Amino acid sequence: MKVIEIKDLRKTYNESEVKVHAVNGVTLDFEEGEFAAIVGPSGSGKTTLLNMVGGLDDPTSGEVFVGGTKMNELKGEALTDFRLNNIGFVFQSYNLIPVLTAKENTEFVMRLQGKSARDCDARTEELLKSVGLGERMNARPAKLSGGQQQRVAVARALASKPKFILADEPTANLDSTSTETLLDIMEKLNKEENITFVFSTHDARVVKKARRVITIEDGKIISDIRKNGGEKINN
Amino acid sequence: MISSISWKNVWRNKHRSLIVIIAVTLGTVAGVFVAGLMKGWSDQRVNAAIFTEASHLKVQNPEYLNNEEITLTIPKYENVIQYIDTMSGIKAHTSRSKVVAMAATSRGNTSVTLKGIQLEEEKLVSNVHEFIVEGAGSFFDVTHQNPIVISDKTAEQLRIKTFRITSELIDSLKSLQVPDTVLKVAEEYEGRRFYSKTKFRKAFEKELSTIDARKYGTLITELAKNYQMRSKIVFTFTDMNGEMTYQSYRVCGIYKTSNTGFDVQNAFVLHDDLAKVAGFGPNDYHEIGTLIQLDKTTEKDVQIALSTTFPETSVMTWRELAPDAAMLADIMDVYYFIIMGIIFLALAFGIVNTMLMAIMERIKELGMLMAIGMSKRKVFLMIMLETVFLTFTGSVIGMVLGALVLKITGHTGLDFSSVGEGFEAVGYAAIVYPNIEINFFFGIIVLVILVGVLSSIGPARRALKLKPIDALRTE
Repeated sequence: MKVIEIKDLRKTYNESEVKVHAVNGVTLDFEEGEFAAIVGPSGSGKTTLLNMVGGLDDPTSGEVFVGGTKMNELKGEALTDFRLNNIGFVFQSYNLIPVLTAKENTEFVMRLQGKSARDCDARTEELLKSVGLGERMNARPAKLSGGQQQRVAVARALASKPKFILADEPTANLDSTSTETLLDIMEKLNKEENITFVFSTHDARVVKKARRVITIEDGKIISDIRKNGGEKINN
Repeated sequence: MISSISWKNVWRNKHRSLIVIIAVTLGTVAGVFVAGLMKGWSDQRVNAAIFTEASHLKVQNPEYLNNEEITLTIPKYENVIQYIDTMSGIKAHTSRSKVVAMAATSRGNTSVTLKGIQLEEEKLVSNVHEFIVEGAGSFFDVTHQNPIVISDKTAEQLRIKTFRITSELIDSLKSLQVPDTVLKVAEEYEGRRFYSKTKFRKAFEKELSTIDARKYGTLITELAKNYQMRSKIVFTFTDMNGEMTYQSYRVCGIYKTSNTGFDVQNAFVLHDDLAKVAGFGPNDYHEIGTLIQLDKTTEKDVQIALSTTFPETSVMTWRELAPDAAMLADIMDVYYFIIMGIIFLALAFGIVNTMLMAIMERIKELGMLMAIGMSKRKVFLMIMLETVFLTFTGSVIGMVLGALVLKITGHTGLDFSSVGEGFEAVGYAAIVYPNIEINFFFGIIVLVILVGVLSSIGPARRALKLKPIDALRTE
């Protein structure tokens, strides 16, 4: 089942009378349960693509469908609500709320969804245990390492039971041990919960783990490789 | 959940939040105290207007208001009294005769209004009997003929009030371990009599060092004060037949209220004593002072009933008789909130500034919150609650401290005696007992929430203008 459908997506910036095509006619699908990495050099357009897929940025043209819903047509509160219930985000710099504990950070999106404290408790504990932080649930971000904070961010992204998770350079600030641990955890969650992960990354270790690698340059997909014997697509 | 985050956000930058909270606390304490002081002053003035000067309602001959002629007594007095006795909601009433007279002693003279009272009824309506100066006689608790109660101010004008250092005073000073230098001066002045407080103090303090004068001047002046009780005062006035007549009275008590104007004007004698010499008949009275039970009726209702039944009389409420006190009572509620409003308006600028700083520091986080699905409405609510909590915490502490200050000063009173003569000249007490009604605090709570909400609008709007994508890019 297709979770994300991207059709001829374009994003053009007008910078001092010169048009910059950050994303230039990308057409792409993601199936449920994929573990995909979008790679490319800096300025290739991978983060812009991810932002448009996540409904954080408006495309200049083209369409993005998430679970059959056309994202481009959603505005304001409806779009925020759609993101809340359908998309999980993991950011490069963790972006946890510093005044909340790991547990509170994780359950935050569930509370935004209006779930009861009891429902949140059970799911939060389960998620934090699955990312290996069962013992640090009451620690605030400042008391956690970078790797641990990013694991809390993954747990938070999963808490709302989204259709997929968008992770923008999730390992960029992590050392190799933390990166390995994080990738193992995300891979495990991907397999156990059949949740779709889409990364944008520079990191070779992420590329190594990903089962699908999409390379983007100058806003265009130049290769799309599925490692389990899938075909290579030139866009 | 939003409220929990907002509360935690308040404490992100403890130092900054504490400064704002302390500022709000101090502002609230100051506002509560000033409001309590004004309320105490106002209440004391209103109480004096009702229970000392005017009573709730006064029935008079309408002509008497323009011309204080002795013959202008209350028309149909007997019927009026009978009617008042049958009215419900009347707590007490008393009838007084009034004569404008010249008073003279061997050393001084002045003009006063002699009020002929009926002792027991008077005590139920007026509280003048509670203002007898300590050690200066009583309110008609005497056996001698023609007793009179005059005010401290009248005693001064008639030179019945003197200042004299006696051997008893020197003994008192010794027991208080006053320095020898002061005692020596006191001994030099023993026996000399002064009729003016200022002259006594000036003469006595001239001999003392500045420090001793400041330290002991007031004490010695107070101890040296003496009223010559049973002094004879001769009053001259026109009687009911239009003849000039004379009557002497002997001082049995000295009173002092917080209203010098009232004190200067009024001296009290027994109606029967006055009636004999003035030629009053059994129904000749100039005013009926009435207290009503406010839980059963209103001044206005009683006034209307009396005025309608006896159109030939003038029925005035204390609000008309003491319009300054009435105005004070009416504007006081608004006045508190003007004081608090000004204080909070000044504080609001600080609060807005603090919140703007708090928002600017958290732009990236706010972008993240909106990205992961926090609606703008909830972001607004979060910032608004944060501002309200910040303001509310300070004001709750301020209200508790302010209430404590009012409790203490309300019990001990605040002595403005050094500038009190000016206050008393216009009817305001020199010793103020601050107090405040509980409703005032509810009013502050509403005001604080309002200030919090209004102060949050600017910073919250700044946050709402953020686009998640731009905010997330902020470093």
